[in-house]
Amino acid sequence: MTDMSIAWSEDYACGLNPGARGLAGLLGPAKAVQITSEPAWGSSGDNPLIELRNVSKSFGPVVALDSLEATIHPGELVTVVGPSGCGKSTLFNILAGLEEPDPGNILRFRGKSSAASELLGQVSFMPQRDLLLPWRNVIDNAILALEIEGMPRTQARAEALKMLPEFGLAGFENQYPNQLSGGMRQRVALMRTFLFRRDLMLLDEPFGALDALTRTMMQRWLLDVWQKHRRTVLFITHDVDEAIFLGDRVLVMTARPGKVKLEQKIDLPRPRKADIVTSPEFITLKKTLLDAIEEESMKSFMTSGH
Amino acid sequence: MTTVAASNNARRISRGFAGAFLLAAIWELSARGFNLPAYVLPSVSSILSGMITDAGKLAAAARFTATEALAGYLLGCVIGIAAAVGVSMVPRTRGVVMSVATAINSVPVVAYSPLVLLWFGIGMTSKIVMVAVAVSFTVFLSTLAGLDRVDRRSVDLVRSFGAGRMAALWRLRLPTALPLIIAGMRVSTVRSVIVAIVTEMLGAHGGLGWVIYQAVLQIDFVQVWAAIIVASAISLCFFGAISFVEQRYIFWK
Repeated sequence: MTDMSIAWSEDYACGLNPGARGLAGLLGPAKAVQITSEPAWGSSGDNPLIELRNVSKSFGPVVALDSLEATIHPGELVTVVGPSGCGKSTLFNILAGLEEPDPGNILRFRGKSSAASELLGQVSFMPQRDLLLPWRNVIDNAILALEIEGMPRTQARAEALKMLPEFGLAGFENQYPNQLSGGMRQRVALMRTFLFRRDLMLLDEPFGALDALTRTMMQRWLLDVWQKHRRTVLFITHDVDEAIFLGDRVLVMTARPGKVKLEQKIDLPRPRKADIVTSPEFITLKKTLLDAIEEESMKSFMTSGH
Repeated sequence: MTTVAASNNARRISRGFAGAFLLAAIWELSARGFNLPAYVLPSVSSILSGMITDAGKLAAAARFTATEALAGYLLGCVIGIAAAVGVSMVPRTRGVVMSVATAINSVPVVAYSPLVLLWFGIGMTSKIVMVAVAVSFTVFLSTLAGLDRVDRRSVDLVRSFGAGRMAALWRLRLPTALPLIIAGMRVSTVRSVIVAIVTEMLGAHGGLGWVIYQAVLQIDFVQVWAAIIVASAISLCFFGAISFVEQRYIFWK
């Protein structure tokens, strides 16, 4: 595993990155099949891809989200940070169509008022845990979403096989999840998400389980491909550095009940180099965000009764 | 890895044979040494020669019993798995189905055999029904336990890919449950042979249970033992076959 990730990062550092085009293609606008009847929602500019107004969600007496407001424009990479238990996962579940918010909300997807359940199958969603199926090998795990869409297996496999090198998984296609390290499993899960091409990608701490080195490489790689073909990404993280480094905007959430406490635009120039994290602008942003998060963390710490 | 597993298997099998041989030797020595009468414990050699003499009769009976056990087993597996899938797809039925199934199974299955013999006659059908009842309960419970084990987050994931209930069942829930389904099926193999034989002893015109019953009436204990040995050989083969399938295809457990 270690060998793999090193080889992979060297490949990256050399700037050769021969597969980037293939990957960029995958990050590109969603497949035509799914939006043929609607206007291409990529470059049209100011129309938000998704708009949330007054979105609340309670589970019995627990209020997870309280009148949350957020707007995501096409092609944006928005990161979300917040104290643990702030309802980030609830927000993601709503956007993935898995949970319906409480009545009285406004949820617009591509300008159209929608129920959350209409988003099922419209958003490519990557949960925190890899959730690989132990009876499927790497390639068959990666094509799970394509298979559910109804693509023939051989075609889906051929498509996935081309992507393996970019994910540092070349030669591992016939391995089973129990033979892989945590980092590789996470990359298989990422690949599964990438293969399910949709306008909006929801990533729930996708790099949280990776070691620091691989993690940095993954961040730069994600930025690189996103830069070329702006696909809309909503990215949850615990890591403020990661949130600033990746995001166009950072949403800081409050402690439960969750709402957006602070919306910070990140106007650091792109492309962003790895050493940007030591620049004064970066440090200033980080300080602002950390202060906001610190306040909320303290609040959730106190209310949870420790 | 596979060669290690294979050599482990070979070692286990050879140990099994060694154990059986040792048991036979002690049996033979004590039967002869203590000069035990045949109705207490006939010697192994006399049982073996009895098996050779009655080979045709025993083989026919074995085929009869194996057919009943296998047919009932397959039927029971299908019923058990289908019922568990149904209950897990329609959770509201769970309470009713569980209580009925538990009520039926709270007495030994053989308690129903007089009724089943009355309803289905003393031919093969009644044995198949009895085996199916016994097997379906075990398989039902283990399948249900397997389906309950599915991670909610995995279900959410495939739903987010647009999977409906059937796709989720086929691609996620059934494969997740498979190790427990097979474990239930493995345990049921032995049960199916037992139930077939016991039911035969209560009323039949063929099969190992019937052979045992007839031999007891004729005070021919050599033949009783011969039939028992054949029956346990069938059970072992059946159990071994399902275990083999389990090891071979449930590699991720």
